[in-house]
Amino acid sequence: MLAAVCLLGGLLSASLVRFSPGYGVDERELDPRFSQASLEAIRKSHRLNAGLFSYYARYLAGAVHGDLGSSEWLQRPISSLIKERFPVTAKSVLLGVLLAWFVALAVSLAGVFFRGPYFDISTTLISGVLIALPAAVVAIFSVYLRAPVFVAIAVVTFPKLFRYLRNLLNHAYSQPYILAARARGISRAKILFHHVLPLASPALFALLGVSLAVAFGAAIPIEALCDSPGVGQLAWQAALNRDLPLIMNLTLLVTLITVAANMLANIAHEGAL
Amino acid sequence: MNTPKLRVICASVLCAIFVVGLFAGTVSPYPYAKQFRERPNAAPSSTHLLGTDSLGRDLFARLIYGTRVSLLLAPAAALLATLLAGIFGGLAGLVGGWCEKFILAATDLSMALPLLFVLLALRALLPLDISPVLSVIATFALLGLLGWPSSLRVVWAATKNLRNCDFLLLARATGCGRWRMIVRHLLPNLRPVLFAQFWISIPVFVLTEATLSMLGLGVIEPLPSWGNLLRGLEDISAVTANPWRLTPLVLLALVVICFQLILPAQEETA
Repeated sequence: MLAAVCLLGGLLSASLVRFSPGYGVDERELDPRFSQASLEAIRKSHRLNAGLFSYYARYLAGAVHGDLGSSEWLQRPISSLIKERFPVTAKSVLLGVLLAWFVALAVSLAGVFFRGPYFDISTTLISGVLIALPAAVVAIFSVYLRAPVFVAIAVVTFPKLFRYLRNLLNHAYSQPYILAARARGISRAKILFHHVLPLASPALFALLGVSLAVAFGAAIPIEALCDSPGVGQLAWQAALNRDLPLIMNLTLLVTLITVAANMLANIAHEGAL
Repeated sequence: MNTPKLRVICASVLCAIFVVGLFAGTVSPYPYAKQFRERPNAAPSSTHLLGTDSLGRDLFARLIYGTRVSLLLAPAAALLATLLAGIFGGLAGLVGGWCEKFILAATDLSMALPLLFVLLALRALLPLDISPVLSVIATFALLGLLGWPSSLRVVWAATKNLRNCDFLLLARATGCGRWRMIVRHLLPNLRPVLFAQFWISIPVFVLTEATLSMLGLGVIEPLPSWGNLLRGLEDISAVTANPWRLTPLVLLALVVICFQLILPAQEETA
């Protein structure tokens, strides 16, 4: 599955790069300082990449050796750019997702535990307002408040997570056998951790991958506006500079991570059963 | 407050905002790009209800025209996305076999893609310096073309359920043609699902447009949209001097919340 995603995504991005308007045109051809021989060399390097499949084959051959091509805008190898930028994003996305999960789980569990109208209404209100804020606005507010990047990512991820979690847990709690367990006098905490959570766990594992995709998406505006030098900011700058090879490689990278996370969640879930 | 009442309130708020956006030309006191160069960053007054921006343009006029752009095109994009989801989801549910497998695999793959990364990549494909009107069309066309995967799964599941229903078996047994079956029996039953998906997509697209425009990759100035207007928030000193600059944000949040409250809770999880 992972390999299929790699190959298919690679082909797609290769064809997009290859057929984008302006492909193969090089500003250096206008530079009078280059001699005729170097111009010919530049043109030759473009001609080598002319056909889609030859372009793709060369890209794949390079990728196997860790060479993802080079960025047109920064004139640097993409692999070194990713090596430099990725740890920043990985750290903030991971911390953000963890924080969002922790808060969302705690609040929705508390909601099931203390079933009451006030708690329900207030949490619905807060998550409703948070979900109505565009990620970029959250980023601006985090700049105002000097909050770290991962908090902003958590704020964007939390409401989406919370809505699903709460519905899931409420649904699990309304099952007849929970009523039976309550009638038998089993304590609330025991019902929650022994009967409600196991029932909801497959969906929880499925949510893990989704939340990661949401967090990576949120990383673009947040890193761009908070000036955090990560992959999200790089993708934004690449889009502004129309650096297609770079942004395609970044998209591919993030897709691979989310697909891998989904698969890991599946495996973990099957292992837990 | 009970839910039907709340829904009526939300619907009327949305209708009011929608109507104001639709008749922006008559409601707005000035054209959206008109500059009052002698009073940039003005405070709210009777001539400029929300004040002016750093270029001296009336914020109230820009807000109304921005509402038109955002609130007319987000439903259009949602319609496109729902249409795509309906066609391919229905196809997958009805035909089954390798066609179903292929469409679902494509959907799973697209769901793993972070939407914003793909949007940026496709936006980078297009030239950056296009006219404002083209930028609006490009932005919302991209949203519509990329926003279908989650709807597709819902439509697929609904179609699959319907296909095994007794009434369709009966219709087939009485010699009902394929198209008649789809148009007369299947579509009316799918309508609530499609409608809910359409309704869910609108706030998502409104929010995504806002983020894209704030990053400078959505609707291009001087044409206003909510995202464009929110760019004004980046300047904290201007916001503290004139808190009315937060109005676009409040309006956007209000619209998204109204859209969410109108939807019945069970359709949200479907």
